[in-house]
Amino acid sequence: MTEAALAQSVGSGRLAGISVTVWRAAGIVFASFVTLYVLIPIGVTIAMSFNDGSFIRFPITSWSLRWYEGFFASTRWTQALANSLVIALGTTVISTVSGILAAWTFDRYNLPLKNVIYVLIMLPLFTPGVVLGLGIAIAFGGIEIGGWSFFGSRGSVVIAHSLWAMPLVFMLMEATFRTVDRRIIEASYDLGGRPVRTFFEIVLPMVSTGVISSALFAFVISLNEFVMALFLTSRGTQTLPVLMWLSLRSAGTPELAVTAVVLATAVFACMSLVMVWYVRQLRKLGR
Amino acid sequence: MALALELDQVSRSYGAVVAVDSVSLDVEGGEFVTLLGPSGSGKTTTLRLIGGFERPNGGAISIAGRRVDHLPPYKRNTATIFQSGALFPHKTVAENIAYGLRMHAMNPSLIRERVGEALGIVQMGGFEERYPSQLSGGQKQRVALARSLALRPSLLLFDEPLSALDLSLRLQLRADIKRLHDELQFTAIYVTHDQSEAMAMSSRVAIMNCGRIEQVAPPQQIYNEPANEFVYSFIGESCCLPVRIDDGAARDQQGRPVDIRLAEPPSSGAWRLYLRPSRIRIGNEAHGCANTARGRVRFTEFLGDFNRYHLVAGGLEFFCDRAGERQYQIGEEVEAGWDTGDMKVFAA
Ligand SMILES: Nc1ncnc2c1ncn2[C@@H]1O[C@H](COP(=O)(O)OP(=O)(O)OP(=O)(O)O)[C@@H](O)[C@H]1O
Ligand SMILES: [Mg+2]
Repeated sequence: MTEAALAQSVGSGRLAGISVTVWRAAGIVFASFVTLYVLIPIGVTIAMSFNDGSFIRFPITSWSLRWYEGFFASTRWTQALANSLVIALGTTVISTVSGILAAWTFDRYNLPLKNVIYVLIMLPLFTPGVVLGLGIAIAFGGIEIGGWSFFGSRGSVVIAHSLWAMPLVFMLMEATFRTVDRRIIEASYDLGGRPVRTFFEIVLPMVSTGVISSALFAFVISLNEFVMALFLTSRGTQTLPVLMWLSLRSAGTPELAVTAVVLATAVFACMSLVMVWYVRQLRKLGR
Repeated sequence: MALALELDQVSRSYGAVVAVDSVSLDVEGGEFVTLLGPSGSGKTTTLRLIGGFERPNGGAISIAGRRVDHLPPYKRNTATIFQSGALFPHKTVAENIAYGLRMHAMNPSLIRERVGEALGIVQMGGFEERYPSQLSGGQKQRVALARSLALRPSLLLFDEPLSALDLSLRLQLRADIKRLHDELQFTAIYVTHDQSEAMAMSSRVAIMNCGRIEQVAPPQQIYNEPANEFVYSFIGESCCLPVRIDDGAARDQQGRPVDIRLAEPPSSGAWRLYLRPSRIRIGNEAHGCANTARGRVRFTEFLGDFNRYHLVAGGLEFFCDRAGERQYQIGEEVEAGWDTGDMKVFAA
């Protein structure tokens, strides 16, 4: 190595040393910025929900829980919360069951035009909510069974939300089923396990992590959904986001912030459940 | 008594690939039959046809006298031990073994008894509450074996159960399976591509090649009386001398004369002579042998118990093994000799 080259390499070493610190500092700043950016809307909403004043407006001069009391005392709000939870539960059941069965069929059997079917099943997930909501309103809006009308019922929203949740469950479970060792399923058949028992006793427990996660995702998707619910609900069946939207137009009290916090808490609780369950499952399998 | 297993002209193809080509095989109760053959010869497919994981394209499969070709695995009285063990990862060892018994609606107290007994047989008592992820490879295979044995099937099917284990464990489990077979007298079909495993364990060996069974016979007979050239060259080590015989004189394939003297030369034409390297004698020991060949030492290998001398004679190459110190140097001319009974001649 020539002297010049040696000097250069030493120099670049020092340069690299400096730039490592600089880069690290820049990285920390950037990460903090992103974190802040993500947290600001949530933080502000939480703060606002404890505002004692009558308007959603800064500065907050005194704090109280009165809007929380108001929220839980109002049947209109609690009814909307109940609607949201019932619809989310219905969506979870329908989309998890149908999504899992579809994914299992898809994985086990050689269907013709497999790719086309895959795309078709996934299609609703990429269709705008407005389009789906409108489509369901038009297609099923006229159904009436003995005085009970489908349009405006919680059932209609469940059907609509499942159109989004089911493809998601399908996608997750299809990927999960592909990781299942075929020999283990064969071993079950071999030991006398019929297909249905094999599915419930062997396959499902092996993919339980996927099942729980996709069920909670379905639940959360339904809780969050607004546009289709706006199209398909009537006064008695409004979900929390719909009622928020409607009351935002009439009066912007901190009660809205309380609603937002309640909704967000429900969603985060679900996500935490997924995490806890996931970690426990990983530990159990000893990986 | 009906045969434990009867394959009659069974075939299975995948598109243009004929994986199993009209295979016929009769197995008596209590036999331990090994399917041995090179990779891709159709051993696994044959086993999967017997287990019911694949449907044959033609032919008939009977287990204990009953046609089963159109029954799914859960209606066949067979139990497979897979290469990977295929234990249920979310069930404990005891639950794994109990699973098959529960599927057959056995009562719980009997199940408990059978589970304990099966674990005892494979010497895994005390491991009941472990999960498969907490077992070593050998322990997993023991549990897999116990899970199959607990059902007392009329046929046990093994698909290379030891090939994922290291050598010492493989030898140990191999001995265990053999001992269990002697004690319990189950009927087994055992797939392997390991010759020594096949020779050591089997009452009969079926040599498979290209989807066909080339020969079925007890191990000694396979080794000493191979039915054809494939079996001879596949089993054990052998040297092949492709020669032309003209009026009793041997030439190599280019037609040059080679210094080989045969006591009973085959008729004129092209032949392949096969020799076991362990039966060829060289140097002084070769004097007086009925068949001899002079060659030059090309190179030698030290293989622990013996030295292997690679010889060339004209266009022919062969090798012979000799215990003890290395005696011949590279380039040296030596004589090799063998008895007529140790040579097999096949038409080329
Ligand atoms: N599911 C399948 N689809 C297509 N071809 C297959 C399938 N299963 C087996 N084959 C083909 O059939 C032939 C026999 O395969 P098989 O697995 O029975 O061989 P094997 O003797 O068990 O080999 P190995 O010792 O490598 O396990 C091979 O050529 C293989 O490629
Ligand atoms: Mg195989």
